Amino acid sequence: MFLTFFETLRAKGVHVTLGEFLDLQEALDKGLCGSSITQFYYVARMILVKTETDYDKFDMAFEECFKAAERETEIGAQMLRWLDKSEMLELAHEEARNHLNQTEDLQIDKDDVEEKFKQRLKDQNEEHNGGSFWIGTMGKTSFGNMGGNVGGVRVGGQTGYQSAFSVVGARKYRDFRDDRVMDNRQFQLAFRRLRQFSANLDIPESELDIDRTIDKTCSQGGVLSIQMKKPRKNAVKLMLLMDSGGTMIPYSSLLNDLFQAVNKSNHYKDVKCYYFHNCIYSHLYKTPECENGDWVETEWLFRNADSDYKVIIVGDAAMAPEELYSDSGNYRGPNGGLSGYEWLKLVKRHYKKVVWLNPKMAPGRSPWREAETACKELFPMYKLTVAGLNKAMYELMKPQK
Amino acid sequence: MQEFQSTNDYVASEELMASVNIAMALQKPLLIKGEPGTGKTELARAVAQAMGKELIIWNIKSTTKAQDGLYIYDTIQRLYDGQFGEKGVDDIAQYIKLGKLGEAFDKDEQVVLLIDEIDKADLEFPNDLLWELDRMEFYINETKRTVKAKHRPIVIITSNAEKELPDAFLRRCIFHYIDFPSKELMEQIVKVHFPDVEDNLLKAAMDVFYDIRNIHDIRKKPSTSELIDWVNALQLGGIPTAKIRSTLPFIGVVVKKDEDLELVKKGGLS
Repeated sequence: MFLTFFETLRAKGVHVTLGEFLDLQEALDKGLCGSSITQFYYVARMILVKTETDYDKFDMAFEECFKAAERETEIGAQMLRWLDKSEMLELAHEEARNHLNQTEDLQIDKDDVEEKFKQRLKDQNEEHNGGSFWIGTMGKTSFGNMGGNVGGVRVGGQTGYQSAFSVVGARKYRDFRDDRVMDNRQFQLAFRRLRQFSANLDIPESELDIDRTIDKTCSQGGVLSIQMKKPRKNAVKLMLLMDSGGTMIPYSSLLNDLFQAVNKSNHYKDVKCYYFHNCIYSHLYKTPECENGDWVETEWLFRNADSDYKVIIVGDAAMAPEELYSDSGNYRGPNGGLSGYEWLKLVKRHYKKVVWLNPKMAPGRSPWREAETACKELFPMYKLTVAGLNKAMYELMKPQK
Repeated sequence: MQEFQSTNDYVASEELMASVNIAMALQKPLLIKGEPGTGKTELARAVAQAMGKELIIWNIKSTTKAQDGLYIYDTIQRLYDGQFGEKGVDDIAQYIKLGKLGEAFDKDEQVVLLIDEIDKADLEFPNDLLWELDRMEFYINETKRTVKAKHRPIVIITSNAEKELPDAFLRRCIFHYIDFPSKELMEQIVKVHFPDVEDNLLKAAMDVFYDIRNIHDIRKKPSTSELIDWVNALQLGGIPTAKIRSTLPFIGVVVKKDEDLELVKKGGLS
């Protein structure tokens, strides 16, 4: 049952597996959904969706498949079967469209619908708080890019459960969407390469020290004496410097993944993260918005983060020549009288290990990309992919020449 | 079948209750996510209480290994005992100590097992538990014994989303995300803790609380448990309601970061 729903979910990017879908069938068989579409909504969501970031996609798919049922708060088995047919779905969409036209009471053109649709969405949010509300819906596209198959249908307020369609309509999980390109587990795994074990940390002794145990036992004439030692812990300190300039916007989700991966790796001794706009100058920003004032001085960073920090610079190295070489250019933020290139050289001089990750690095030598070539001369540069990241991590862990 | 309902001191939304009941009916672990302080851990306690079952808590730390939950073979004790030929040294079973998961399997009655903050552990941790949670059994190598659950425990797993969990693990769970409580639900929750709280005080405190949560660039949003602490402090301190917004007494209970404190005091609260 509900194969269309299954397919729609997958088309919307919710990775439902057959096993999970069969679980849903089992739940239906056991009567866990009762006879209400709202309960069905929650049960299906619990079983099929495993992260809140997918709630929004689920809502969209649910609406597309079951929109026709939204005026029915109670539906029988007969109705469920009826809902399962896609041609009926089309009919239902048609009906909703007609319904809109009637309620608006005039013939309207597409722009008008869009306008009203936007208005409706807005109104709905406001009224939503009031308690009883109208729902404008987004679903199968009939009207251009808004994707608006528009219908305003009153949903009876229920006590207890929040009605499925009021949840769907409110799209309250929209902010959770992440649409990530790549599972950042892979990134996290790459970051595990950054390990440098040290036993000089402040942790309990929880490992058997075999050598000392043997020594001690022997010196006591064979009476066993167990000796423990501190386990070795990662002593790596990591600094992430990320380009947040305009040319990096296409890569923001990739960067977000990288950032999340670093943030979630809790095995480092310390992680620092700062942002720059196109090139590093005298100040580094604390947030990706790069607002002037919300920054630290690059020199302060040199003073406070010693040369043992492993530095990862992330950027497309696509500075204009004057951004890199001029010491009086028109930059965002001050430059302390030095050109970007000089600042980069300072970074190189201060830190023992620096790598550059570039999301759009040209392969091999690319003299036409002047800034990139210049940066490559200063730092080992890798493409920001899982493979490139692995190589970069290897470079960071290589012993000093 | 027994169903889970809100208890006297735990207010659960309908959706949350449904998720518990679905998980029990389908015999799958229930994975609960949500902002810190939305009562994820308390849920297990409430479920155990409501169903009259014993609660076993397995607290996960960054050093926890999957093996710790199954059993530990105390080799060192055996080594010591072996030196002096203590009785029963040749009985390995004597040195096998069941972990929390093993304990839950081994009980004669159905129990509620809480695996708390699973995301704290190593990335591979959830994968190491797939078989055990699926089949509800594991094998003790040293004694050639299979520990099999006599009664499938009700497994509740919480996560603060510090790490992503592997897909294979997620597929086996029922998932529920606890939304931050609406004002109405919040009022109910606070009243469960302080039945005699003055309505005006509660209203004033909640207004300030939700305003702080709504400050755009606040770094750490205060949570339910912090509101409860604050209401408690306000009550004990006997602060007049009118002063709550203007002087923000004990605000340190709600706002924990210096930057946030500054933000709130500087009039982020309109």
